[in-house]
Amino acid sequence: MTGIIKSEPFVINIGPQHPSTHGVFRIKATVDGEKVIDAEMVMGYLHRSMEKLAEERTYTQNIPFTDRTDYLSSMSNNLGYCLAVEKLAGIEVPPRGNAIRVIMAELQRLASHCMAVGAFANDTGAWQTPVMWAFREREKILDIFEVTSGARLTCNYMRIGGVAFDLRPEFEPMVRRILRDFPPFIDEMEGLLSENEIFIARTRGVGVLTPEMAINSSLSGPMLRGSGIAWDIRKADPYCGYEQYDFDIPIGYNGDSYDRFIVRLEEMRQSLKIIQQALDGLPGGPFRTEVPLALRPPKGEAYARIESPRGELGYYLVSDEGPSPYRFHIRPPSFINLSALKEMTVGGTVADAIVVLGSIDIVVGEIDR
Amino acid sequence: MTRELTGPEAAALAEALVPGSVDRTTATACYLKPDRLVETLRALRDDPEANLVHLTNLCGVDYWDHFEVVYHIQSFEKNHIALFKVEAWGRDNPEVPSVTPVFHGAWMQECEAYDLLGIRFTGHPNLYRILLWEGYPGWPLRKDFLSMPGGLQPGLGEFAGVARRQEPPVKVIE
Repeated sequence: MTGIIKSEPFVINIGPQHPSTHGVFRIKATVDGEKVIDAEMVMGYLHRSMEKLAEERTYTQNIPFTDRTDYLSSMSNNLGYCLAVEKLAGIEVPPRGNAIRVIMAELQRLASHCMAVGAFANDTGAWQTPVMWAFREREKILDIFEVTSGARLTCNYMRIGGVAFDLRPEFEPMVRRILRDFPPFIDEMEGLLSENEIFIARTRGVGVLTPEMAINSSLSGPMLRGSGIAWDIRKADPYCGYEQYDFDIPIGYNGDSYDRFIVRLEEMRQSLKIIQQALDGLPGGPFRTEVPLALRPPKGEAYARIESPRGELGYYLVSDEGPSPYRFHIRPPSFINLSALKEMTVGGTVADAIVVLGSIDIVVGEIDR
Repeated sequence: MTRELTGPEAAALAEALVPGSVDRTTATACYLKPDRLVETLRALRDDPEANLVHLTNLCGVDYWDHFEVVYHIQSFEKNHIALFKVEAWGRDNPEVPSVTPVFHGAWMQECEAYDLLGIRFTGHPNLYRILLWEGYPGWPLRKDFLSMPGGLQPGLGEFAGVARRQEPPVKVIE
């Protein structure tokens, strides 16, 4: 008998409680043998309706909520929200406040990419060693956050008009130590993984996204850059004075999971460059503009976005001159980066689906909000 | 810096490609007619001058008497971003055409707007409640969700033991 032998399609659930889904997230995969022929996402297990809760609280009270959306990059979330409120109310941030924000956002990118790279290696089968190495480095960054803001994970450090506290004297030596210790770690990680035969076999050509598909699916961040599109909001639409810093946008060529991994590693090097420049030229002066606690921005709407570790993080706010936002919408990068998950997984094996999900670098708190 | 197209600029782009597609403009936004929406956005995506290829953000807003669906669309080559809006009148069954055939990335965001605001996107390939479960009572992001009379209407009574607040109706925004 000639022809392809087909087996009965079979539905398996990946998740919701599974280490490779990085949270409570479920993929309902229909498989034919080992091959995925359909994939459906089931999400919402962590839905807290933050957008509704935010309509009941003042603009300042909403800052801690944003910590809890993308809990691996709370500083970036604070920053995106504060920028949106500042745009709505027309508030200027002093130069020192902006420089501190840039340092914090880039440190957060390092911490978040450590997690992304380590967990991705975990998904491909490099069990525990790379993720523990990444955690070791991430700890040092969280220590800096603890010294500065008092919290390690949900920092709640940015304020409307600047940052909450000025930097402590320990801050600069600690960041200098990161600048010294981090490049060897990135080289080590790259040496361990990027030429590893098993790692390449698991990631090369897996979850390929063409540039056209990446744009049409509204992707952003490392997903878009992995497909070869040099789009970075820090360059294209600079905020917080990113235009003064010299850095490059790493891009991939093949749009596969391997390229997204390499883009993240290279972005960490670029972040270190930015931190170095921002720390060397840290201006003095006030770190915050005084803003009334019960802020009532004029009637209108504002959409502000930043380049968070996962992509374009946008906040769309509508004000009706009340003390709380009339509408508070988050454009969550990891939610929208999942738009193309089906296209990336169908045709591959179940094991490839895990790798693809790891390369998207989802945070379920942000998907479900 | 990304140039934010003003309402009239975005309207001029849309009107040049699809005449009669613009409903009205404000300083920042361009309101499109719902029946011409898909056609207009497809033309704007394919036109090299407008080059609005990347649908960044899609969300719905409840203004009590009508719903607005907000589209932030940007161009990488021209480095500009435009804000388009579509209005859906009526609270019982607000309908807006789906832009998923034009922008594949819209499908999840439209599912979310349907899930939380109850805006039905006609022509969507698979519109389902993406975050909440099927059969969830009501639409949580609507302004009247917490102040439904007695907390009993669209099925809020299913949440037994949860005392609903009796709130005065929220001020209507023009």
